[in-house]
Amino acid sequence: MTEFFADPLKFYQLHPGWLFVTATLLPLLSFVLIFLASGAWALLRRYRDDHVGIEQLYHLFGGDKGGRLAAYIATAAIGLSFVLSLTGFILFNFVDGDKEQKRDAQEAKIRETRELLVLVSGLDKELEKSLHDEEAELTAIDARWAGRFDWLRIAPAITNDPQRGTALQLGFRIDSLAAIMFVMVTFIATLIHIFSIGYMSDELPETVEDHQVHGEHGHLHRRGRFGRFFMYLSLFCFSMLNLVLADNLFQVFVSWELVGLCSYLLIGFYYERRIAANAANKAFIVNRVGDAGFIIGLLILWTYVGTFNFEDLFRQIRAPVRVSSQIPWIDGGGTLLGGQVVRSTAEPSSGRIKIAGPDQPVSADTQAVLFPRDPKTELYGISGEMGVHWGVVDKGTQLLVSTNPDPEQFGVMPYWMLVLAGLGIFLGCAGKSAQFPLQVWLPDAMEGPTPVSALIHAATMVAAGVYLVGRVYPLFTPEVLLVIAYVGGITLFVAATIAVVMTDIKKVLAYSTISQLGYLMLAMGVGGWTASLFHLITHAFFKALLFLCSGAVIYNCHHEQDMTKMGGLFPKMKITALAMLAGVLAISGVPGFSGWYSKDAILAQAFGFVWVHPGHILLFLLPLVTAGITTFYMFRMWFLTFAGKPRDAHVYEHAHEAPWVMTVPLIVLAVFSVCVAWGRQPWNPEESFLAENISESQPASVIADFGRVETDPLWKGGRLKDETHSERYLAQENHALAGNLALGVVALGLVFAALLYYYRVLDSEESKEQFATLHGFLWNKWYFDELYSAIAVRPALTVAHWFKWFDLTVIDGIIHFVAFATVRVSKWDGLFDHHIIDGLVNVMGGAVSRVGNGLRGVETGSLRNYVLFLVLAAVGIFLVLTWWVAMVMAG
Amino acid sequence: MSDVGLTHYLLLGAVLFVCGAVCMATKRNAIGILMGVELVLNGASINFVAFAHFNRAFEMEGQVFALFVIVLAAAEAAVALAIVLNFYNNHATVDVDTAEELKG
Repeated sequence: MTEFFADPLKFYQLHPGWLFVTATLLPLLSFVLIFLASGAWALLRRYRDDHVGIEQLYHLFGGDKGGRLAAYIATAAIGLSFVLSLTGFILFNFVDGDKEQKRDAQEAKIRETRELLVLVSGLDKELEKSLHDEEAELTAIDARWAGRFDWLRIAPAITNDPQRGTALQLGFRIDSLAAIMFVMVTFIATLIHIFSIGYMSDELPETVEDHQVHGEHGHLHRRGRFGRFFMYLSLFCFSMLNLVLADNLFQVFVSWELVGLCSYLLIGFYYERRIAANAANKAFIVNRVGDAGFIIGLLILWTYVGTFNFEDLFRQIRAPVRVSSQIPWIDGGGTLLGGQVVRSTAEPSSGRIKIAGPDQPVSADTQAVLFPRDPKTELYGISGEMGVHWGVVDKGTQLLVSTNPDPEQFGVMPYWMLVLAGLGIFLGCAGKSAQFPLQVWLPDAMEGPTPVSALIHAATMVAAGVYLVGRVYPLFTPEVLLVIAYVGGITLFVAATIAVVMTDIKKVLAYSTISQLGYLMLAMGVGGWTASLFHLITHAFFKALLFLCSGAVIYNCHHEQDMTKMGGLFPKMKITALAMLAGVLAISGVPGFSGWYSKDAILAQAFGFVWVHPGHILLFLLPLVTAGITTFYMFRMWFLTFAGKPRDAHVYEHAHEAPWVMTVPLIVLAVFSVCVAWGRQPWNPEESFLAENISESQPASVIADFGRVETDPLWKGGRLKDETHSERYLAQENHALAGNLALGVVALGLVFAALLYYYRVLDSEESKEQFATLHGFLWNKWYFDELYSAIAVRPALTVAHWFKWFDLTVIDGIIHFVAFATVRVSKWDGLFDHHIIDGLVNVMGGAVSRVGNGLRGVETGSLRNYVLFLVLAAVGIFLVLTWWVAMVMAG
Repeated sequence: MSDVGLTHYLLLGAVLFVCGAVCMATKRNAIGILMGVELVLNGASINFVAFAHFNRAFEMEGQVFALFVIVLAAAEAAVALAIVLNFYNNHATVDVDTAEELKG
């Protein structure tokens, strides 16, 4: 810290990773500032009439109208974040950019040396020193972009296992993916902030009338919530950036929940509207289902692997990459396992890890080998021949070849547990990214203000799920990846079909988002790691654009969202219409637009996957067909909104172009939607700077599981899969074929849309009646809501009713009986108290009182009487004494 | 007539005591009552002195007690007369029957 305050510039030069940390913390600072300011404002408001000074302070804080200060703070914070992220991105790629090449060269050198070693069996001291220096340099570069510290220490468990986790950590690790995500999120968020200043200006006045809420006295009147909106936006941005920044699953989970909370707050922004409140609840509860899976995954990993740190996790679950099959001392070579999940059929405690071959079926007692997190010796080779031989090379000079691994360094976990952990984490991602079967919350989430829809659907929340799948990719076994692919495939098709019939402009976009997210998940599942995240970025740009355009349309048509009432708006809002057209073309995958590059990459990957696994042909057919459907519904939306004749005179009358704060973000986003994916040759779909940059942080497990492509920089030697028959290789080979197929389908979709909604050759109303059943089916969203209502909501309500009955009759009955019995017993007790106890006391008291009264007469007050008594008493005592003495004498 | 012995002294003491007691019980005049008290005390003193004379075991004790009684009587008379004087100041009489404010 002191280092930072002494010289910030130098600090950032030494630790450029902190640029991103600062960029993350700025929105948090903005949130805190707005929170405190609004708190102060509310406090001053209460006492503003008491004192002149307070009233002046109150006006300083904006007075009754609130003012736009919150917007400026939030926008400045996120804008500054963007600048910092961009600086960091540039530093990362152009200053430390050759890091990967350096590492590759160094590794090649190490391997060469090691192989040489076997022959000479002695290491040149100088060579060793130079290797050592290079390694130190790489570690120093790593340290510039990463950092972590213990956040919560946990008392160590009673175990000798050194791998056991003892602390939850906070940390960050910047790779090219994180850097790109940072730039993308902050950039889009900045534009959305600017757009919101215009869009949310309705919330500025002291009282706002909500036309959609009917109270007892007409419409609802409430105070404007301009500042609150920007406060939520800031928190949202912080959560998302922290999620991207995190280097461990726990930190991701914290941000994950924060993002969920923010979406809940923002979807329910107009919480007086019942429908908005319900949508917020639905989003939160559906996400909770996913998060339950996430937590299960976290618990499994913590229990078996004992860390949440991504690097550590992957190092333990996946075999080290620096493993070579060309190890001369192992007879007959061996199966190369670098980057793979290694399955074993025997415990290491038996002294052997018997590695299962790739064709060996998985059974209940199959174990996944956990590798040492911080190996004392470098793992060098693994062979599957007749038990196991591990080539272990000491970091020093000595060469060790052991037939058995050091069991201390290795662990195992049940393979099915690893699968379960992967499925759990994916369930969390499916919830956030609105994947089947948890997609139902997203269309309802359209109840929030439109900039929020853009922020949630483009840059942040829904992207978070896919981003996390990409981040923890090495944790997913092939079984999990297949599930991911199918879930994505189902989602993209279902959502696209629903989007075809929707008439609410935002609902169309919502379903389109779900469908596109399905593409991303499918790409992940079939091994298109880069393709998926590539599409995530391009989609973020054009979907934010589309949402903001729809926001502009809605804002300028006086909050009319029904497309059937629009039409012919093109002359009235040309900028918005053209910007939206750019978005539509991009999402359709028209050549030259950003969506083309990324969608082609996904389709090619799916094609490659299906080629290797012909049984899963649906995984290619679904996205291919859906590409056409996407084009169809996007053009349908555009034609219905902007083309043809106005269908509602009232809406048409009011429509006008948006103010500049709203159009400028549209134009900027439109430009990026077109050209964000361009490469050296914009006409070549395989060339893209963005994709190349993303692929730099591709985990080695992608290559291990799906084979390599010709230009893979990460792969050095070895044959994991039959090279020309691997998914990724085939995808690369058939990129053009898949792309052209998709293009044909897209053209078909465009023609249909134009025929139906532009030229009106076919009457859409007529065809709607012709396919009434199908239309009804789609209109009701495949009856998912009804299905969930039947299998989850209604049973829950029924059970709740049972419990209510149980509560009312049994529990309340018991309580009432107990109460009744208590009252009865108390009454008896009261009677006993009253008559027996009190009676006894009264009798005694009465007796004493009576005796006292009787004795009163003795106290005459006459001195002579007293003397008389005295004398009489003396005489009495004398007589008694005399009698007593006489008795004693006699006796 | 035999010699004057212990019994005579005791009889004298008893007569004096009874005279004193009767005086206390019958007089309404506070001064009279005080006189009765003196008689009772002197009766007792005669007993002490008589026992001291006739019983060697009580030689000293009898004398000392008698002296104590005399001193006590003097002190008592002083205090009692002061009370009487005050009583007279308040009630303009020394009739003890009027002192009945504290009766039950």
